[in-house]
Amino acid sequence: MNAAEPIIQIKSINKYFGSFKALDNVSLDVEVGEKVVVLGPSGSGKSTLLRTINRLETISSGTIIVDGHDLYDPGEDINTIRMELGMVFQSFNLFKHKTVLENLTLAPIKLKKMDKSRAEELAYGLLDKVGIRDRADHYPVQLSGGQQQRVAIARALAMEPKIMLFDEPTSALDPEMIGEVLEVMVTLAKEGMTMVVVTHEMGFAREVADQVVFMDEGAIIEQASPDVFFDHPAHARTRLFLEQIL
Amino acid sequence: MTEQKRIEIGDGAVIPDPEDKGLISAWWIALIGTISLLIILPLVKPDPYARILAFVPDGILVTFKVTIASISLALVIGLLTGLGRLSKNRFINLIASLYVEVVRGIPLLVQLFYIYFALGRIVRVPDIVAAVIAMAFCYGAYMGEVFRAGIKSIDFGQTEAAMSLGFNARQTMAYVVLPQAWRTILPPVGNEFIALLKDTSLVSILAVADILRRGREYASESFNYFETYTMIALIYLLITLILSRLISSMEYRLSHYERR
Repeated sequence: MNAAEPIIQIKSINKYFGSFKALDNVSLDVEVGEKVVVLGPSGSGKSTLLRTINRLETISSGTIIVDGHDLYDPGEDINTIRMELGMVFQSFNLFKHKTVLENLTLAPIKLKKMDKSRAEELAYGLLDKVGIRDRADHYPVQLSGGQQQRVAIARALAMEPKIMLFDEPTSALDPEMIGEVLEVMVTLAKEGMTMVVVTHEMGFAREVADQVVFMDEGAIIEQASPDVFFDHPAHARTRLFLEQIL
Repeated sequence: MTEQKRIEIGDGAVIPDPEDKGLISAWWIALIGTISLLIILPLVKPDPYARILAFVPDGILVTFKVTIASISLALVIGLLTGLGRLSKNRFINLIASLYVEVVRGIPLLVQLFYIYFALGRIVRVPDIVAAVIAMAFCYGAYMGEVFRAGIKSIDFGQTEAAMSLGFNARQTMAYVVLPQAWRTILPPVGNEFIALLKDTSLVSILAVADILRRGREYASESFNYFETYTMIALIYLLITLILSRLISSMEYRLSHYERR
């Protein structure tokens, strides 16, 4: 693969739910190491767009290429591609029947055939990183929302993905827990991870994003660096959104 | 503690819930009463009660064999049927649904006769094997609905999380969904187990020497119908009382990850 080529290439995709157009001719490139933050009112299609990148949501037309693999090429194995894409959900979705440690080791052991001790070593390292090593033997239900989301980030990282997708990772959290999750995400960004983040956290977008993408009614309205986006938005729709949210 | 989803199917025995004080007392009264009668009656009137008690137990083993073989087979059929009913493949879905519809519409006794004689036309199998196949065929359909409901009760986010890590559909089912669904499925499966155990009394008609068959044999020789069926009813009751308690404690242990 050409190193200069974007790691994610979304080319004029459309998506319909019945007759409702959820994604309207969306194109977006993400470079290696780039952080893209997707903003927009609810129902604007931003989560749908994010979920098309690992094919949790299928598209009606267009092309998506991730790390050189066409997601809709019948010759490609979607499960192999998904191993390169970590995903963090709004509702955490930790495996409820597994301990924190087992949540992190399940996929590496089963999918990468990593031996248990190696997987646990890796898992403990990641739990250290997200500051939750002391809860390794707890079950998800025993953790706070913020702790669960940090474990969910560590679980995705355990597969050593090239890209991390975040689908409103702080929207289900109590306000006092948002900071601890954002902190982990900022650390990850500083380490050079390629990230696509759907969020309502404007502070995070300003601090971390290389590109801010604003969506409305399934289409990308504006795409700019955070400085330009927040201080000199080009579109009236963007200005209205920023006024409402800030 | 998260609100748990339960599937209620009322054809087994009542599974005691540790929280339900009324049922627990009822369970103890029934158990003590049953055991007392099973001890006192033969002591007070050895003929015929002690004789019945000596004659019938051969059938207990047969009843257990038929029950365990049938439930095992029914669980396999049920899992396949449940997965089939949830399948996106229309053909598989149709076959599974058709099976459930047909089986649920025919009385168990009619199915028993039908499979027994239909099978007898093709291959000569021992009566007990025919009985097990018939029971499993019937209960597999009910079990299929239990599995389907249990699998559907698991939050789809669990499936999405597994898929996002790279698990395929089969691995997602095996490592993430079924281990959690089992928790929801166990109470109704336990219930079906007890219902099946009771329904095995029907196989006595097919010359399988279960508890009831042994009782009928004894009664037809001794003409002690009332005494014999009293003892048989007590034996069935004792078994189901013990089983319902066992299943209840198993259910409690399986829920360990839901407790804070």
